Amino acid sequence: MQIKVRVINPQILLECLCCCLFSALLVYLAGSGKYLSYITPRMKPYLYFSAIVMGMWALSGIRHLFRPQHRVRSIHCLILAVPILLMLLPHAPLGVSDVTKNYSGGGSLFNLSGTKQSNDTLDSGKTAPADVQPASAEEESSSTLPGLDIASKKITVSNEDFSIWLAEFDFNGKQYEGYTVVMTGFVFNDFEVPKEDEFVISRLAMTCCIADLSPTGVRCIYEDASELNSEDWITVEGTFSIREYQYGNITREEPLITVTNIAPSEPVAEYVYPFV
Amino acid sequence: MAIPVYVVTGFLYSGKTTFLNSLLNQPGRREIKTLLLQFETGEEAFQRHLRNCNNKSFSKKDLEKQQEQVIQAIYACIKEWEPDEIWIEWNGVASFSKLQELLLAPPLSGSCKIQKVIHIAEAVNLEEMLGRTGSALPEQIANSDVVILRTPQSGGGTAAYQQMRRTIKILNPGVATYRLRGMEFRNLHKWVFRETGPKISSFFLALLCVATLYLLVKPVFSQMPISINTIINVFLGIILQAIPFLLLGVLLSSFIQIFIPKAWIEKWFPKSLAGGITIAILGGFCLPVCDCASIPIFKSLVKKGIPLPAAITFLLAAPVINPVVILSTYYAFGGDLIIVAQRICMGITASIIIGLSFAVRSSKGRVLPAGRFDGLMCSCGCYQDMDSMTGPGNKIDLFFRHAQAEFFDVGKYLMLGSFVASVFQALDTGLSGGIQREAGTAVSMVIMMGMAFTLSLCSSSDAVIARSFSTQFPMAAIMSFLVFGPMMDIKNMMMLSSGFSKRFIGRLIFTSFAVCFTVVFLFYQIGGR
Repeated sequence: MQIKVRVINPQILLECLCCCLFSALLVYLAGSGKYLSYITPRMKPYLYFSAIVMGMWALSGIRHLFRPQHRVRSIHCLILAVPILLMLLPHAPLGVSDVTKNYSGGGSLFNLSGTKQSNDTLDSGKTAPADVQPASAEEESSSTLPGLDIASKKITVSNEDFSIWLAEFDFNGKQYEGYTVVMTGFVFNDFEVPKEDEFVISRLAMTCCIADLSPTGVRCIYEDASELNSEDWITVEGTFSIREYQYGNITREEPLITVTNIAPSEPVAEYVYPFV
Repeated sequence: MAIPVYVVTGFLYSGKTTFLNSLLNQPGRREIKTLLLQFETGEEAFQRHLRNCNNKSFSKKDLEKQQEQVIQAIYACIKEWEPDEIWIEWNGVASFSKLQELLLAPPLSGSCKIQKVIHIAEAVNLEEMLGRTGSALPEQIANSDVVILRTPQSGGGTAAYQQMRRTIKILNPGVATYRLRGMEFRNLHKWVFRETGPKISSFFLALLCVATLYLLVKPVFSQMPISINTIINVFLGIILQAIPFLLLGVLLSSFIQIFIPKAWIEKWFPKSLAGGITIAILGGFCLPVCDCASIPIFKSLVKKGIPLPAAITFLLAAPVINPVVILSTYYAFGGDLIIVAQRICMGITASIIIGLSFAVRSSKGRVLPAGRFDGLMCSCGCYQDMDSMTGPGNKIDLFFRHAQAEFFDVGKYLMLGSFVASVFQALDTGLSGGIQREAGTAVSMVIMMGMAFTLSLCSSSDAVIARSFSTQFPMAAIMSFLVFGPMMDIKNMMMLSSGFSKRFIGRLIFTSFAVCFTVVFLFYQIGGR
């Protein structure tokens, strides 16, 4: 038989293209670290896995590229094309205010009264002297935990180690009682009943993906807490302790910082990823 | 100019020739020179009333043995007759791609182009045909622009018509279907020549719409409390998080469908209800799949003939009790093993009860709308190559293509579900907290379960969200969120509707809700903390 005329099957071509592009997008996101604005570092291998599967699909599609087909479908390719498009269209990563305004953690209603008051009061910069050292890993000494200085009983929590220390405080908090802690975060005031002298030094934590972004941090006692602007970035210095709190009929031990010093700080764009 | 080709497909005795007799002899076609090529000889012969219509027949044997001659004969006819239109009556057991190959082979290639494909079938026996006759018939249906379903002249057949219409829509989404009572070919012309069919351009059009919508909507919404930016971020986050697990799910499910023979499952899967459910629980425990992955697996299990109660137990238990979820719950609740244990136990209890409820009162009607098909005859279009499928290489290729088709099939529901969930998240105003303050345990449980349903969180992350509610809600409500959320939510509902009847999904959601509520409520009333 003579040479067959080959007609490209447009549906298969489109599927191949979408799979290829999506695969490339996944590799780019994983390689550049941009995926961290959407999902946690844990997902990185899964992204590569998905990129490989998509690549295989594109390859296996080539085998069928010339298969004749009368009824051509294309709409299903939107499943890949729409995320690609949205990813390319300009959009900013979520910031603190995006999350706290409609924080799905509930209780925002009660929180509102507290936040609104403080929004009109003094700027935190005016109330606090600015002589706290920036977080550094220099003091890393006797322990494997970065920023721990047992000799001078001081813990300097650098921005990268926020989640490590949060977990450490939660699980082994007792052994650090009396230590001086320095950490940076934003002021978060989301208590059931607004408290005059408490706030949470927080960062946005992502456990699984951006949908569960929520403020997480350590409770701070500070007598002028009501004068702090919620969502302002600050560096606190204070004494660490563990205190029992009552939730209904559940008692929980929670870490606490009694603040001695507050300084304004540059916002930290990165999220923290607990349990990575 | 390529000559337009119209193809009529359908099984033997489905009424193809009668249809052609009626259509091609209409007085309106007097001026159109028509060539009719018949690849089937049925009971009825083509009767020519108009002089402008010529016909030529080929037997099935010609088609198989002497393809070359068939092509030459068609070419000669075209040369001699110079028709304005070519009509083809295609054999019901011959693959449609074969016809396309014929028309693409030289010297025919370029001289004619398929314009419309019309499929005719008898509604009453179509399902049996589909189950019995291999891959040609579903392939023909999948390639049709118009499907005409015949029902008896004497009336009746409405149920069969409705049923088959649904089946056809699964094989060929968006196809135009018509009901023909008896042989009254009255609206034929309108049906056949109506503009139908999806085009490749609609894809780009839709994409353009999304982009324009985005650019238009963004400035408008910047004045409103709801942030488009949040929606896009959350949507992309959920998609990126879910796609790897969905891929894992479709690959596993495709593997089950292609490499594990039905007989093997029938031989090894426990016959007894208790045994089946035990295996289901163990399977759920071992496979690190979240709810995105368990649904495709559930689908393929049902298709492979696993008893429904066991399959349902697997579907509901797997996302609650798998290792990833256990770990994330453990971390989210600060290492509280009691909460982890409660979640696992209640998850297992609830899913067993729901599974059993389907054993006690078996599901009425069809669970899988595609009924008696073999697993491979899904909407994936893989059947084209089924006949030539030999050797491991082809099997692996089929495995990939099947997985891909399933991904596209389930993926659209994942997209919809994620989008709805991300809008809900952006809208969430914390109202829930206000309502529940004065309410009792039962009401706050219902609120939390409703929230779990609408937020559609991935089961590996919902523990953290639940934890963030824990200062405002009683533990019973948190637990109902943790148990019910992974089993059922908007995203799961959408994904299930890609393969199951509405009735079944409705019953599943209702039963899950009721059982989860009861289990958690009783537990905390009787002696939980």
